[in-house]
Amino acid sequence: MKLKAFIKAGLLSASTLAMATAAAAQDKAVRIVGSGASSGVVGIFGQNSSAAMAAAFDKINEEGGVKLADGSKAMIETEYYDDRCNAEEGISVLRRIASTDALVAIGPTCSNVAEPLFGILQAQVDDAGDTGLQFPVFTDVAIKGGLAGISEWVFRNTPSEAKMYDDLFAWIRAEHPDLKTIYGGVEEDFAHSRFTWYEVMKKAAEKHGFEVVGEAQWLLSDTNFSNQARAMRRAEPDVVAISAHPFTTCGMLREMSRQKIKPKVLVGLTSSSSLETLSGCPDEAQGLTIPTSFAPVNDNSKAAAEAVVAKGGQMDLHSASAWENAMILKEVIEAAEIEGTPASVEEDRRKIRDGLAALTEADGLLGVNVRQPDGEAVKPFVFVHAQGKGWEVLHDPKS
Amino acid sequence: MDYFFFIDFLQSLTDGLLFGTTYALIGIGFTLIFGVMRKLNLAYGAAALAGTYIGLAAFLSFDAPPTLVFLLSALGSGVIGILVYYCCFRFTPADYPMASLLASVGMLLFIEEVVIHASHGMPFPYPSVFRDATIELGDIWIRGDLLFVFGICVVAMAVLFWLLYRTPLGLATRAVSQQPRAAALCGIDPTRVNLLTFGITGILGGIAGAMTAAAVGVLSPIIAMGLTVKGLIAVVIGGLGSIPGAIIGGLLVGAAENIFLLLRGVTERDIYVMLLLFLFLVLRPGGLFGSTAGRD
Repeated sequence: MKLKAFIKAGLLSASTLAMATAAAAQDKAVRIVGSGASSGVVGIFGQNSSAAMAAAFDKINEEGGVKLADGSKAMIETEYYDDRCNAEEGISVLRRIASTDALVAIGPTCSNVAEPLFGILQAQVDDAGDTGLQFPVFTDVAIKGGLAGISEWVFRNTPSEAKMYDDLFAWIRAEHPDLKTIYGGVEEDFAHSRFTWYEVMKKAAEKHGFEVVGEAQWLLSDTNFSNQARAMRRAEPDVVAISAHPFTTCGMLREMSRQKIKPKVLVGLTSSSSLETLSGCPDEAQGLTIPTSFAPVNDNSKAAAEAVVAKGGQMDLHSASAWENAMILKEVIEAAEIEGTPASVEEDRRKIRDGLAALTEADGLLGVNVRQPDGEAVKPFVFVHAQGKGWEVLHDPKS
Repeated sequence: MDYFFFIDFLQSLTDGLLFGTTYALIGIGFTLIFGVMRKLNLAYGAAALAGTYIGLAAFLSFDAPPTLVFLLSALGSGVIGILVYYCCFRFTPADYPMASLLASVGMLLFIEEVVIHASHGMPFPYPSVFRDATIELGDIWIRGDLLFVFGICVVAMAVLFWLLYRTPLGLATRAVSQQPRAAALCGIDPTRVNLLTFGITGILGGIAGAMTAAAVGVLSPIIAMGLTVKGLIAVVIGGLGSIPGAIIGGLLVGAAENIFLLLRGVTERDIYVMLLLFLFLVLRPGGLFGSTAGRD
């Protein structure tokens, strides 16, 4: 009897210990947070990004979580911080995130926030004289070119607009050799729109033999575009390129339609290849051609898009990056063998930074994303155009 | 001066004056509330926007015709105007004008954020009438939809004038505006007059919001701040408290905005509009038609 009781007690103790260990593994968690504008007039970017991150982390957690250095698994916890597309708030948010146990941040959404925000990070790792914040940031949305060069703690998974528009204008040149002139329209007070017209679209168009016959400027909150459209009508351009966000893109397209301006090709800003443009001006946007790094063209991207919609967001080129970032970070965390303990937070952050820096390519929804030494990415993309109530793939440059 | 410049100038002036009527309506709203209560309602533009979204909801939900959409926008804005009165003005101490002013700033931010959350900040198509109609006078094109906006705004102003100068309600409103204490002694209930003023100005704001959205063809929360700022500039130029001043101020702001856009480009346009505001504040603080008479 005594032996039986002893064995019973032993078995009970062993099973209790095993259960406790399992429970402890289940309780393990690492925090990856997001930041960006989830309120305000450009809040849709953050809302979609947040939904994409949450959907991706749910998928990872459902598949068992992320493997730590000791072989145990940890769940990923996440939270989204709102910076309202305001630089001061963005900086304050990142400082707050860095003071928690978060290992890495995905964000921000606005280029005008990203630029000063990256400036508070340590410019070069191991520079003892630089007291900047040592915290890895993996950007999904803020798309203005070249920003990762500001700090070695910054990595971006945003598409290369320079490459996209270069290919787009090369393709337009090949498809329409008779077209000669282009007219640009730019939302002058938004960092991304401005940069993309003057530094990307205009240069790419000129490189491929288009003559810029005029430029129209307007501001983000403008409601009257008649002057700008009149000048455009007079120039009779073959191609019109609009570098603006959906509200003013729609305002300008409506004014163009009213003034009977019918360019043979209409090019739009990457950020406008979204549901917003099609909900704002479905008729006028028809035919608008945009390069984008996301389109639901394969099983992976379709499944991801459905998961994001289930989380209340929409999948577009920006939120697709948030999804990809989550998946890339899982791989990096596992490869870097982080410990995921309160004592190892700083060391883990450094391991993640180094892991991201060491990447030369990463899986994306449309194919392989090439990681550049400066922290930027070159992502696969397609050209889409507005057709009916959706965006349809017009051309795949890889084909 | 070449021919094209002359045409562009005339065209800009025409478009600006037509569009300026929406600023005039917003200006009238500010000035009417100020005239009656001697207080500024900074939530006015945001309330106008929120009302416009009520009309939009009808359009998106059951494809309501433009007339009904405009009507619902105006009425919705009127109801929100009354709510703003109760939240920010009715119970705030009369001796502390800053209390209601700051309450209205809070309300502006609150309404704006509610609209953004409800719409996810996305632009939505807003119905317009005569969108493709254009009257061509030589090289000058007059937009049918802007002419409609102009017409509706003029009718709204005419109805307002009738209300103010031909009805007992208008008499009471003017009495409270001029001598609130004496008006109260005569049996006029200032609270009721204030409430009705917020309702009426709300309707005017809703018309302005609807007409702005109809002119652009798209509605977005972005337009709230523009309506507020342009409306305030219009009343400062026209003279705070003067309805004809708000009308002239609104037209002037609309025209100046377009002319400066033509002459100096979009990046400098607002500098000159603000300079105009500054000049009026310094050289003629009472505006063009501002009354210098006080009240009890």
